[in-house]
Amino acid sequence: MNGFDLLPSLDPTPIPGPAWLFHGLLVLTFFLHLLFMNLTLGGTLMAAVAQLTARGRADDYRTTLAARMSGINSYGIAFTITTGIAPLLFVQVLYQQTFYPATMLIGSVWLGLLAVLGFGYYAAYLYKFRGAPTKGAGGTVWIVVAAVLFFVIAMIQVAVNLIHAQPDTWLAIADHPWSVLGDRTYTVRLLHFVLGAVGLSAALTAWWAVRRARTADLGEAEREREEDIARYAWRWALAAIFLEVFDGFLFLVMVPVNAALMQNLWAAIPLTVAILLALGLLMMLAQVRNPVEKPGIATGVLATIVLLLAVMSITRHQVRLLYLEPVTSRIDQVAAPQWGNFALFAVLLVVALATVGWMVRAVLTHPATGDDAA
Amino acid sequence: MDYPLWHLAIGGGILMGLVAVTHVIVAHFAVGGGLVIAATETVAIRRKDREMRELARRGSLILLLIPTVFGVVTGVGIWFVAGLISPAAISALIHNYVWGWAMEWTFFVIEIAAALIYYATWGKVTQGVHVAIGWIYFVAAWISLVIINGIITFMLTPGDWLQTHEFWDGFFNPTYWPSLVLRTGIAILMATAFLVFPALWAKAEARPKIMRFIGLWLVVGLALAASGYFWWEAAMPHEAQVLFLATSPDQAAVLPALAATRSFLLWALAATAAVGVVILLLLPKAARVPTAVILALAAFAFFGGYERLREGARKPFLIHDTMFSNGLLVSEIAQVNQDGVLSKAPWARRSAELARADLSAPEGWSEAQQVAVGHAVFEAECASCHTLSGYQGIRPLLGDDPTLVSAVLELMHLQAEDYMAMDPGHRANLENLTYPFMPPFVGTEAEREALVQYLISIAAPPSEQGAVGGDTQAAAGPSGERTGGEQVAQAGGVR
Repeated sequence: MNGFDLLPSLDPTPIPGPAWLFHGLLVLTFFLHLLFMNLTLGGTLMAAVAQLTARGRADDYRTTLAARMSGINSYGIAFTITTGIAPLLFVQVLYQQTFYPATMLIGSVWLGLLAVLGFGYYAAYLYKFRGAPTKGAGGTVWIVVAAVLFFVIAMIQVAVNLIHAQPDTWLAIADHPWSVLGDRTYTVRLLHFVLGAVGLSAALTAWWAVRRARTADLGEAEREREEDIARYAWRWALAAIFLEVFDGFLFLVMVPVNAALMQNLWAAIPLTVAILLALGLLMMLAQVRNPVEKPGIATGVLATIVLLLAVMSITRHQVRLLYLEPVTSRIDQVAAPQWGNFALFAVLLVVALATVGWMVRAVLTHPATGDDAA
Repeated sequence: MDYPLWHLAIGGGILMGLVAVTHVIVAHFAVGGGLVIAATETVAIRRKDREMRELARRGSLILLLIPTVFGVVTGVGIWFVAGLISPAAISALIHNYVWGWAMEWTFFVIEIAAALIYYATWGKVTQGVHVAIGWIYFVAAWISLVIINGIITFMLTPGDWLQTHEFWDGFFNPTYWPSLVLRTGIAILMATAFLVFPALWAKAEARPKIMRFIGLWLVVGLALAASGYFWWEAAMPHEAQVLFLATSPDQAAVLPALAATRSFLLWALAATAAVGVVILLLLPKAARVPTAVILALAAFAFFGGYERLREGARKPFLIHDTMFSNGLLVSEIAQVNQDGVLSKAPWARRSAELARADLSAPEGWSEAQQVAVGHAVFEAECASCHTLSGYQGIRPLLGDDPTLVSAVLELMHLQAEDYMAMDPGHRANLENLTYPFMPPFVGTEAEREALVQYLISIAAPPSEQGAVGGDTQAAAGPSGERTGGEQVAQAGGVR
């Protein structure tokens, strides 16, 4: 008996749309989730290190950076979870036979993710309300706890995805669940996510500081502080992307489906684009020491990382398809499309994004203080 | 039943209950709280009332810290737990209703964005914009309830979906509208239960006015919840009503535990009304932390009781008339009876195969192999609801008379015939079944006999057993001789 013999039978209920539609929605919504998830994970890791190295000094620019990241993340964590719901839905539509067994084989750990997430979320809030942002310094323990817990979540997610993609490992996992940590690609895969997360967070922080540093009415001391933050974050981005490129090539060498990935034209194109974008990113980062002097490049780096994440979302999905090819090639999933419902969803999605856009715009265009304020 | 086996000492049902009830309490507060807070701010602006504004502001902090953190995490938790304990059911639901959930998600995005912006912009934007965002939050939150209500009620009363398998036929099912009224009322009740606490921080002279304001909302919530509940009962098909209602003086409810749950929730509702009216409307000065806690507990008890009743009234199905609580489809009973349940349960089958039992030749099974096969059958058919000695433990239910165990399983097997004889597309009449709350036993005669032998092997009195705990943990006989159960556990290392 091997893992493929242990596949649950295909759900006889037809899926309510063609498979390609769900594949597309899975990649799209996962990309959105990835943006916020990267800010949560990478931003919290960076904030924790910045806070630790600032050693509690309120006037240290790294304390300001940590506080700023926590301000972003109090929104970012909520949207990480919210945007994570959609890909969780679509993965269940497409991969009922492999996703559920993967979570069940490490069920207690999978369930434990919720507790880790809850504690991490509240730790981030404790840092925001009791730590650096309001007290000038302090609260280090909370941001460190949040960073560690978010890293643990990344470890669990990578484990589940590896099990989900490799039914031939299920028997071994059933007897020794921790053996997933010994998978040859586990560490490089985990690092790939973590380094990408740090890279995006650092690029965003640098871009923001560059924008603030170039604001006309900023005092000299403030301008210097923003410049320090921008340079500091820039170094983080450079280091993260450098290691990411190295780790990415290592991952490509180690992943069992690498030959298929490079031989399949539709998989090779985005992979090649991703490699070129990563190398271009590295060159942009390496040629600038003070990003405040090169605001265009700071914007270019941020845009390129976002684009890279979009392309890597496609490649990640294609790697999964290749891993699961032995399973999916012998299953013919029946579809009974509900086009009307899909159209309603698409309209509502546009309405939702427009509503959020309206709220943000209204807040920006209707500032008020004193008695006029809410 | 064809998924890996994930065991939990407290039982999957208890875990789901814990996660689901805590989530729905918070999630309904998220809806009702949005309404009451937006209304409070509207009143505060019109009357230029600082205390009312403060109530709305403090309420929005609770909204930020409880629903958007704890509520969101436990909401994801329901997905996780459902996938772990009932993967077949959640898969079937998703295949039918993924677009419904996707639509709900779009409103959820608005809801979360609005909650964050609303709290963050106190004192920073114009009153008109701020209160508008509050109302946007409420509308989005309520519409997400409007959508999710259709999927939840579908599981209990699929209605015309049984014939048509059409999305909207299942969505607007017989209990959809009463449940929506009930849940809207509950959402307002939850809001009052939570908002009494920030109201206690108001200045003493303003507190009675604020308590009465919340009290009026309590009355609205009570009226909607009570009328919605009785409408919901009346809208239930007769076959479901008889499970928890006495249909005539000499005809008791089929499931006494569910009838007791109904009594409990009605008393809890009455207690909510009594405490709420006294501390909020009649004697607002009596509103203190202890009385507020009592009000909240009474409201939570009513809601928790209702959820328990709703879940219980669905037994033995996960999706009524379609899928049983162990993942077996009504449509596959005949096939499973013919091929054997282990043909459908590869993970459970492992323990039999590890004992080297040839499933195609039951006549050659040794006693230990027969017990091993029985253990596998138990894992496939029973373990999704029963633990060995914990929640819904099977061991306390077993006597030591094999003929009795055998007779019970025989009756449960005959129930499979009743389900097969059911008119497809119509609701099953469970009233005349011997075990209306249990899925039928399905499988071959050899599997049934093996299950009997396994159950006998684990039925030794606890005082004569070794340590008993986990679901796969073995029972040792009086002489220290290992029982079949122990041999299975040791041979299989079964998950």
